[in-house]
Amino acid sequence: MKGERLLRLSERWFGLLLRLYPADFREEMGDSLVQTYVDRCRHTLDCSRFPLVSMIGVWWNAMGETLHNGPAERFRPAAGWRRNGNWGTDMGRVLRRLARAPLFVIAVVATLTIGLGGFAVVYTAVDKILLEPMPYRNPEDLYFVWRDYRAYMDQARGWLSGPDVAELQKAGGVIEDVAGMQLAGPTLSATRDGDPQQIHLMLLSPNLFSLVGVQPVLGRNFRLDETGSKRPSIVILSDTLWKRLGSDPSIVGSQVWLSGSPYTVIGVMPTGFRFLMHSSVGPPQEADVYAPFRFDLATQPANSQSFAAIVRARRGASVELVQAAVSAVGRFIDERDNNRRGLKLYPVNLQSDLVKDVRPALLALSLAGIVLVLALTVNFASLLLARAAEREKEVAVSRALGANMIAIVRAIVIEGAALGLLGGIGGTVAGLWGARLLVALAPLDLPRRETIGLDWKVGVVVIGAGVFVGIVAALIPALWAARLSLDSLIAAASVRGAGHAGRMRRGIVIAQVALSLMMLSAGGLVVRSFETLLRADPGFRPDGVLTSAVSVGPRLFPKSIDALTFQDRVESALAALPGVTQVSAASSLPLSASAEETDILIPGAPGNTGDRHHDAPIVDVLTARPGYVNTMGIRLVAGRDFEKSARQDLMEALIDQYLAQRFFPAGNPIGSKLVLHGLALTIVGVVQQARLYTLYQDGRPQVFVRPFEGYPYANNFVVRTDKPPDPLMAEIRGEIHKLDPRIPVSPVRTMNDIVTDSIRQQRISAVLIAGFALGGLLLLLMGLFGLISGSVSRRRGELAVRLALGATHGRVIQLVVWEGARLLALGFLLGLPAIFFASQVIRGILIGVSPFDPYTLASVGIAFVALTLTACYLAARRVTSIAPERLLRDSG
Amino acid sequence: MDRDRRVERLLPLRPVEFQILLSLAGGERHGYGIIQDAEERGESVDVGTLYRALARMLDQGLIASAGLQKEPETGNERRNYYRMTDFGKRVAKAEARRLEALTRAARSGGLLERPTR
Repeated sequence: MKGERLLRLSERWFGLLLRLYPADFREEMGDSLVQTYVDRCRHTLDCSRFPLVSMIGVWWNAMGETLHNGPAERFRPAAGWRRNGNWGTDMGRVLRRLARAPLFVIAVVATLTIGLGGFAVVYTAVDKILLEPMPYRNPEDLYFVWRDYRAYMDQARGWLSGPDVAELQKAGGVIEDVAGMQLAGPTLSATRDGDPQQIHLMLLSPNLFSLVGVQPVLGRNFRLDETGSKRPSIVILSDTLWKRLGSDPSIVGSQVWLSGSPYTVIGVMPTGFRFLMHSSVGPPQEADVYAPFRFDLATQPANSQSFAAIVRARRGASVELVQAAVSAVGRFIDERDNNRRGLKLYPVNLQSDLVKDVRPALLALSLAGIVLVLALTVNFASLLLARAAEREKEVAVSRALGANMIAIVRAIVIEGAALGLLGGIGGTVAGLWGARLLVALAPLDLPRRETIGLDWKVGVVVIGAGVFVGIVAALIPALWAARLSLDSLIAAASVRGAGHAGRMRRGIVIAQVALSLMMLSAGGLVVRSFETLLRADPGFRPDGVLTSAVSVGPRLFPKSIDALTFQDRVESALAALPGVTQVSAASSLPLSASAEETDILIPGAPGNTGDRHHDAPIVDVLTARPGYVNTMGIRLVAGRDFEKSARQDLMEALIDQYLAQRFFPAGNPIGSKLVLHGLALTIVGVVQQARLYTLYQDGRPQVFVRPFEGYPYANNFVVRTDKPPDPLMAEIRGEIHKLDPRIPVSPVRTMNDIVTDSIRQQRISAVLIAGFALGGLLLLLMGLFGLISGSVSRRRGELAVRLALGATHGRVIQLVVWEGARLLALGFLLGLPAIFFASQVIRGILIGVSPFDPYTLASVGIAFVALTLTACYLAARRVTSIAPERLLRDSG
Repeated sequence: MDRDRRVERLLPLRPVEFQILLSLAGGERHGYGIIQDAEERGESVDVGTLYRALARMLDQGLIASAGLQKEPETGNERRNYYRMTDFGKRVAKAEARRLEALTRAARSGGLLERPTR
């Protein structure tokens, strides 16, 4: 029939025209639209005498309006949701689907929470310590200046002398302003009626605060002329000390007592302002109280170095210019004060200087954080993929029925992003706690420790990271779903999930193996390094030693002989306490990083070379009372300790093994003379160095002298006990208080606490990196177990046949484990360069362990293989717990 | 009122939309039925324009799908029928009132003759 043919032709023509409309419109309206055209044609045919002509008219009309309507619908879609995409509907659908799988959601969100929480903590620390600028005005223009002795001595970083600072102040040019500072060793002080407290006093040029651009929040700053000996005693308090004293705003104008004499408080610094000054060696020091110098820097002895200088460069001056200006001053100093021995001065930017010790640890932690997030992403991807694979048939069928591919992909991505968002929120909350924990664990001297805390910025980054992880993780299953077709499904129908999904899951496990190996090797090395640190011999035995500083300053004891007598009384009182076996005192304790630096001579020693630089080494001089060597557990290598009571005719000194080797390579140093500050002392013993700066490294050579008149400052009492130390702590303070209630006594600490504090940073790194590594391993084991047990259920038909044909259980397990082992081997290959890379990054924080320590790497590798194969084995065992007949019946 | 504002936001309707609502006011219709109704009223509606309007109105809740039904006259093929929603009816009424007011204005302005009784 001619009419029918024309109608069929029309239908094809309209179907063709329909292509001009966007896909979703076609999907929704296309059939009806074509139908309506056909109705119109039929109607026209019924009423027309020239069917073909009228038909062509209808076709022509239809084309005309479709040319308008089709593109118009593309550019300005009729329905609102199409304008904005189908996000709303899809989102609702995805959320409903997730709500039906609460266990899955909980598992994913919990994993993400933990992982992103760890990331949040690391990110916070890195952001606050390394990235965020210091809270000073134009901090990039601030520099510390140090002495570089390397031209003639092994020291790259030393304090300045007073005249150095004075010369810098005169320099001008790009050097806009210079302030000097000096940390006056731990000073004991008190308000008049309060309990004496130990505080740290920093002496400084009065322009320091205005130089860095921070003003006191209470009271006023120092005036530029408020320095020198004739000026009234004034101080500015740190916020911390102000709070310790009771946060009283009226404290400005009142008096505080430092070492027995009154100072007027003129101001209080803002919260969070802790001006940290670097010691030339050892950890940065900070102060509780700031007071102006009471002397002229230029008149200080040129050979005594105990100052730091902070320089403000002219705005925008390049580092090179500042370097040139500072070096010029250095050359002048070298010529005037140093016999042109090659001394140099050099500037270091404040922030990079302050964080240089923690930078390697933070970089290693950042890497660990990034790898953790990667591992998380991969793990998340495998979970989403597994979930998507469960709907494989559904997806394939709906794809075959013409469902919009983009919609399917979009649903998976929305699912990932929604879970990632939840995980990110969870991670932020976890990070909040984690950051608090970090601050609690963090070394007290960790720079900018007080600024560590989550803020909204970190929250945004972590939640963003969560969503990012979700989307990236979702892309893998989305990619899979997009490639999925009915053909592939039918092809894979006999082996469920053996198609793309299986391949992708195997790829994911390989990536997990590589990442996990990288983290584990880094974790292993860091833990091993920490273990080495714990086993390090610091040159003293901290167990059972208690310490407390007892002030005997010149204001409390104007005559130094009285101070010495008082110290004798303290010693006998403490020795009488039950459980105390030994008592002594020293000017500075091990790991305190404070000592007097000075040069000495040992005239007549065989090791002298005639070279002044070699023969007058700079040493740390410590004052110690008799018995200190024994009480602190320092090893006496030769000779003896100081005699119980001082002899007028013999000024005793102890030297450490480094000086002994240097000056007496073969002979015996006992009895030789040592010249210190122009005094001739007699070497009576050689000790092993008790580390003054870090637990794991010897410092400068040490000389011990005993307190003598005019030099009685062995303030740190040490008590060795064979009883539990806790009850003694209160008794020690009480005993000294009984002797003289005016005397400030610092809180009693155990030497073990001091040791523990000194390695807090290493402890954090070890705990975090090892924790991340274990977390990554757990993720991997879960992934591996899931993959193998999934593969067992997929292959159970095949496996059952094998069993039925006589294969032993062992053989079948071997077969399945082999599948996992192949992935492990591939992951190992991929992981080797990653291990190399990770080792390079953590090199800086490893102490006493090579970054390629074969012992550690081998144990990590063996443990890793054992654990992963066990996971494979446990998963594979599932198959043999069922009899082959039943398996065959089930899979039939 | 909130719902009145929802109605007013849609006014004035496009001619094709009013044609659709006019047609559905007389009962459920399929696409070509609506076109035929319009043609009886002396208006012409393009098929593409109609279906774009239908899609938009479905989305706005003015009309709803009444499912696939057989055409009563021919009784053979099944077509997608549409019906007017309550909201659609209120919008249609509001549009009619608006047109009425315009017509009154045209009349008092002498553009339109008085209706013959």
